[in-house]
Order: sequence, then C-alpha cells, then structure tokens
Amino acid sequence: MAEFSSAVYQNEFLPDGGTDVNAIVTVRCSDAGAAGRTGSGDAGEIIVVDTSGSMGTVNMEAAKRAAMIALDNILDGTYFAVVAGNHKAYLPYPPVQSGPGMVKMNYATRAEAKRAISYFRAEGGTAMGTWLNLCKALFDSIGNLANRHVIMLTDGENHNETAQQLDLALANCVGHFQVDARGVGVDWKVAEIRKIAQAMLGTVDIIGDPARLSAVFAELMRNSMARGVANAELRVWIPQGAQVLFIRQVSPTVEDLTHRGTPVNQLTMSYPTGSWADEERDYHVAIRLAAKSVGQEQLAARVQLAVGAELLTQGLVKAKWSADTNLTAQINPEVAHYTGQAELAQVIQDGLAAKDAGDLATATTKLGRAVQLATETGNAEATSKLRKVVDIADARTGTVRLKQAVDKADEMALDTASTKTTRIRG
Amino acid sequence: MTQPEWPQWPQLPQMPVPAPTAAETALCPNCGQPVSASAAFCEACGATLVPTEPAVSEPPAPTEGSAQTRRLGVRQSQVTTCSSCGGTIDADGYCQVCGAKAPSARDHYSETPADWVGGVCDRGVQHSRNEDAMALWAAGDRAVLVVCDGVSTSVDSDAASTAAAQAIRDVLVERLAQLSDPGQAATELAAAFVDAAAAANAAVIAVTSPNSTNAASATLAAAVVLGAEVHFANLGDSRVYFLSAADPVLLSLDDSMAQAFIARGMDRAEAEALPRAHAITKWLGRDATDIVPRTGVHTAAEPGWVVVCSDGLWNYASAPAELAAQLAAAGSESDDPVAVAAKLVEWANAQGGRDNITVALARCPAPAMPTNLESATPWVPEVEEQVENG
Repeated sequence: MAEFSSAVYQNEFLPDGGTDVNAIVTVRCSDAGAAGRTGSGDAGEIIVVDTSGSMGTVNMEAAKRAAMIALDNILDGTYFAVVAGNHKAYLPYPPVQSGPGMVKMNYATRAEAKRAISYFRAEGGTAMGTWLNLCKALFDSIGNLANRHVIMLTDGENHNETAQQLDLALANCVGHFQVDARGVGVDWKVAEIRKIAQAMLGTVDIIGDPARLSAVFAELMRNSMARGVANAELRVWIPQGAQVLFIRQVSPTVEDLTHRGTPVNQLTMSYPTGSWADEERDYHVAIRLAAKSVGQEQLAARVQLAVGAELLTQGLVKAKWSADTNLTAQINPEVAHYTGQAELAQVIQDGLAAKDAGDLATATTKLGRAVQLATETGNAEATSKLRKVVDIADARTGTVRLKQAVDKADEMALDTASTKTTRIRG
Repeated sequence: MTQPEWPQWPQLPQMPVPAPTAAETALCPNCGQPVSASAAFCEACGATLVPTEPAVSEPPAPTEGSAQTRRLGVRQSQVTTCSSCGGTIDADGYCQVCGAKAPSARDHYSETPADWVGGVCDRGVQHSRNEDAMALWAAGDRAVLVVCDGVSTSVDSDAASTAAAQAIRDVLVERLAQLSDPGQAATELAAAFVDAAAAANAAVIAVTSPNSTNAASATLAAAVVLGAEVHFANLGDSRVYFLSAADPVLLSLDDSMAQAFIARGMDRAEAEALPRAHAITKWLGRDATDIVPRTGVHTAAEPGWVVVCSDGLWNYASAPAELAAQLAAAGSESDDPVAVAAKLVEWANAQGGRDNITVALARCPAPAMPTNLESATPWVPEVEEQVENG
C-alpha cells in the first residue's frame, strides 16, 4: 500500500494587519507499486501516433519503431489500444468494430499490435481533438480502469480543427485520463501541445532527433507503469471567509491549479493530481485571511492528499500575528525559491512569445529577466537552454542580447522546459 | 446501451466517433453506478465527480475515534468546540470552520489544591505562547504558591518556567513537612527558599539545550502560608502581595530596572513607565549570576488574600491599593479562589493582555482551621452577610 507524507515550509508569522500566507507543501509518495496491480483497478494505456502526411518517411518509421518499443514496456495484463491520427482518428488495434475497444496485453496481442503498427503510412491532415475523443471513448468502453494514460506523438499544427473544437475535446476529456505529449521536429506549436498536456495532467517535450523517439517512448511508458496510485487529489481547506490567492504545483514542474478545483464542501476544494509513482511534488499555496490581532494564531489551510474518500496525508499552513519584525520580515527560502521559479517559467514563455511576434524589445527584457532568475535560483538547465537563444552579457543583472541565428529546436526546447523547476533541497 | 462503432484503420471509418451523451440521471462517469447530484466522489469506484448540486450537510466532524483522526495523528487538543465560532475542533487542534487555534493545556490552566487556594495561568492576548508557569500546594492551614515567568526573549522558556515552578514547590513542600519548632519557621523557610531557587536553577538548566545561544531563563515569586504568617521570596519581577481591607501591601521587591530607579528616588508610576522598566536584573537560568532570592515574612493582622502574580497582572494595577480594588471587584460574584483568579485574568486580558498572566491566590490565614474560625473569615469586601447563625 502506498504511503504518503507531507511537510510544510513557511514563515508562519504575519505582521500586525498582515493577511497573506504563503507556504510550500511537499507531498511524498512511497511504495506506490505498479499501475493496475495495486487492487484499485486495472490500468489502461493508449498509444496515439500522428500519421499525418507531414510525418514523411523518416519520422513515420521512427514513430512506428517507438510505438512498438512502448508496447514492449506495457506490463502484461494492462488494457491497451493503438490509435492512428490524422484529420480523423482511427483504431488500428484492437481490430474490433464494436464492444470493448481495448484488450489486455499478452504475448499474442503485443505481436498483433506491432503488426498493425507496421502498416502505418503518413497521409492526411491533423485533428488532435478527434484523437483525444476517441481515446476517451476507448477508455470508457472498459469498466473500472483506475489508471488511464495516453502517450501522444505529433509533428505538426492542429490544422484541421478550430481552437474551439480542440477546447471542446479537452473539456470532454479532462479528468478522465492523462496525456504525455511529445512533438517531433520543429513544425508543431509548443503552446498548443502544452495546453493539451497541462489540461490532461501530463508532460510536454520536444524530440528534435527522430532517432531518440524510441528511447523517449520506452521511458514514458516505464514511468507510467510505475504509477501505482491513480486519481489522487490535492484537497485544500481554507477557513470560512478566507480566499485562495493561488494553488500552484511548483515541482517537478510549474502548473497553476488555481482554477482547476472542484468543491468537496463549502470550505474545501479538490484539485486533480493524476496518478503517482514513488515521487515528491511541491505545491505553493497562497491564502488571504482576515487579519487578527497580534498574538493570535489560526490555521490558514489544511493541505491534504486524498485518493477516493481516503485522506492519506495532511499538512497544516498556519498564521501567527506578531509585533516582532525579526519574525515577520523573513521570507521563507522555499517560498522565495519557488516564487522565482514560477516567474522564470512565465518570463521564458512571455519572452519567446514576444520574439515570435516580432517584439524584440520585450523579448530581450523578458529573456534577460529569465537569465537573472535562472542564475539566482540555480536552475542550470534553464540557464544552458537560455544560452542557446541569447548571448549573456551579465547574468546577475539580466543583461542579454538576442542571438542572430537560433536553431528553432533550441528555442522550442527552452519553451517546453520552461516549467521544469529545480528544488532548493537535496 | 449502444456500443461505439470503432473507426477502422486503414479504411475510412463508417461512423464518426459518437460524442458522449449527457446522462439523464446522474451516473458515475467512471463505473456507471448511480451517484448523488451533490457527490464529489463515486461511492462505488471512488472516481472524482463534479457535483451538480451543493452538498447541504456540513463537513463531517471527525470524532476522536474515527479512522480519519487516527490516520492523521493524535488529538492535539481536548477542546471540541471552537470558542470563536462554535465550530468543531479538528483532531489537528484547529477549528474546522474558522481555523482558530484551540487553546492548548499549556496556554491556559488552573489549579485548586484546596477550596481556599487556587490560581490561573494564561497566555494573555499578544504573546503566541504561555511562558508563565504556576505550581500550588495546600494541606491543613498551610499552602505553597509559586509563580515563574519565562523570559520571553529566550528559547524554551515555557518549559523552563514549568520546571522551575515545580522544583520550587516540591522543595518548599518537603521542607514544610520537616518544620519542627514553629519559632524557627522564618529561619528555616528562608533557607528553604534559597535551596528551592538553587533547585529551580538546576531544573531550568536541565531543560536548556546545551548549544542554545539564548539560554532559557525565568523569574520566581513564591509564598508559603503558615497559619497567619506569609513567608515569601522573589527573584526578578514576579510579585507577592498581601491584600487585606485595611492594609494592602506589596511584600516582594522587584529585581528590575524600574525598581532600581525607584530606589534612587524616582516615582513608582514614572519608573514603571520607562522603556526598559521591565528589564530584570536577576533571574534563574544558565546565564544567571545571582540566584539567591530576597526573602521575608509578614504576619497578617487581619484576614486577607496572598496574591502571587506575574507582571502580566500587575502591569495593569501595580500599587497594592489598586490591585486590592481589582481583587474586590473580581470577588464580587464568587469568593472561590480559582473563580476570583480567573476574573482577574479576564480583566488583565481586557486591558490588552500584553503579557502572559498568572494569578495565584490563598486566603491568609486559612479559613478551614476550627481553632481560629472567627478570625479566619475571609475578607470579601462586598459580601459581608456571612456567619449570621453561628
């Protein structure tokens, strides 16, 4: 049985009249077990391969190999399906016309699925919303699936759908399964795929070199199979009359959860966190309270992790009003660190968007600030990715010049990695 | 129920993928079981649901024995109802509705060793923890009252003051039992106070972390009631008063900057208003240099109250006559010592509660002794219609 624990990092002390409480809550999961094998329900995996014409021979062949290797990493007994997508969505495997649209993995089904994948050829356009809707229907055709996970590979823009159609598909699918999305090449839009991955509680990354596809798919599938805890939720209780300023996952990536909550009761909201392997995630909770008099103490939030109706761990965020400025003036190091990391993600995305739009002045300012933040918070990965897009004159002050010639893949790698954070603790 | 027609590949699909239809009755999207419109979870499979109606019931109140409270830890407070909003106190020690902290046993406690001896020790309003401590004892016509005030700039001073107060009481109780000749009581108790202070000093050091840069420290004020005699001692600025109708007096002498100025001729009110008036010149603790308390004895000429208190009380009524007036007001409804002490604490909190407040009271002489019943009638200024039908 998985074990959860939590720790709270905050400065509990507020000055006289202070109202805003910030805390980092770390939630740790251990003994998660394997997906579909913990008795809480079966696991379901769907591999979605872009088979649009733009994939061409090289990417198509690499994608086929990668999809087959992903199959090798699905544990026997796991329900699975393979979806091929262009401007429509198709079900190459299992070869059924009705009834349950997924089958259990075993020696025979794995071989049949590989054969089906071998027939893939690149043609047609791109409509990712239809791919996602088909995945939802496939999962729904199997009862009692605890883990529902999709690996989606694409190489291009969502040409054959309006943004509204994609939004509708996302609204249909949110909360029903998780999607790890990967883009191959440089002709896809980071913002578009990130939107899918964020809504579907997954990750986004660029695979610049198609030769790396197989390794990436194998790792994604292994990671998914290690998530023995399905459908965990972060629950945040706040006192009557208090207000959530924001709830944000800050590690391993920055994800704003503030508007993803559903009410559990009048004072408690539930935020989906998807499935968990043995891992730690950090959440930044910011709550506004009515000020109390100096010397008073109260609870600002109960931050809990729940699976189903069961609360597995709870962290207490507190507020103590004090007249001692030595206590109230301190900013908690974890809060400061992750505030900087969240801003880093934002300025990288803003800076690249400005550069894309031709607003070079804004791009220079934002990416300069990004260099400064990455340096201050010790985010070496972000610094090295920024170096490929800007020339750094002075990292401390954030003085940079945009590079004249930038490899598009480097720029996209900076964008997709913008939300990855470093931890302040070892 | 119609099953979806799966789009075949590589042929073109015969049918579009059906859009999911909105359920007419609320069914769990995960397992299809009926669910309540207000449910946030499916009871069959545990899947997350988006409630379409607000839940009407209050959040479930975990009681002491529920699985949830066991899982999430031991109960932090014995209080179950929030004093701020009337909500339920959770096992974590905070209100489930408004988040107010339930008072801990250390924040507020009282002791009643006899019906003529009692005290209340309270966090006050402005301090986040209670660093005062109190230890009382009574038997026959004898009582011991001890108050220690943990110095608030030091670490662990709440633990230090508790250890000190209990050590002092224990030494005094032991030495009272060894008293043989009543004529020697003053001498023997004066020595007992000095030994008690040394024991308390050792107790404070014992709870101080060896690598603490800000060693815990505490004051001491103690009184032993022995018949009509009040034996007393103090170190620091906690006080011993004897308050009777005719002659309310302050018995102890503060070891404080204010007292030093008073000794040089400054007016008491002026001295106690100085910015560093509360800086004390003697204390118990690892960095203490002089731990010998000032001792004395006072014989009650008429029945009255012995008051041992921390500066959280006397800050608001320093002069003996002022404190006597507050004591009289506090005793107007009930003359039970704990009730009177609680009233005094309440009054000090109403004045601002800037510091922890401790009030320990004993009648002197003890009223229960049959041999001097008449003289032992307590002084209760506004309740004088007693002993009518004797």
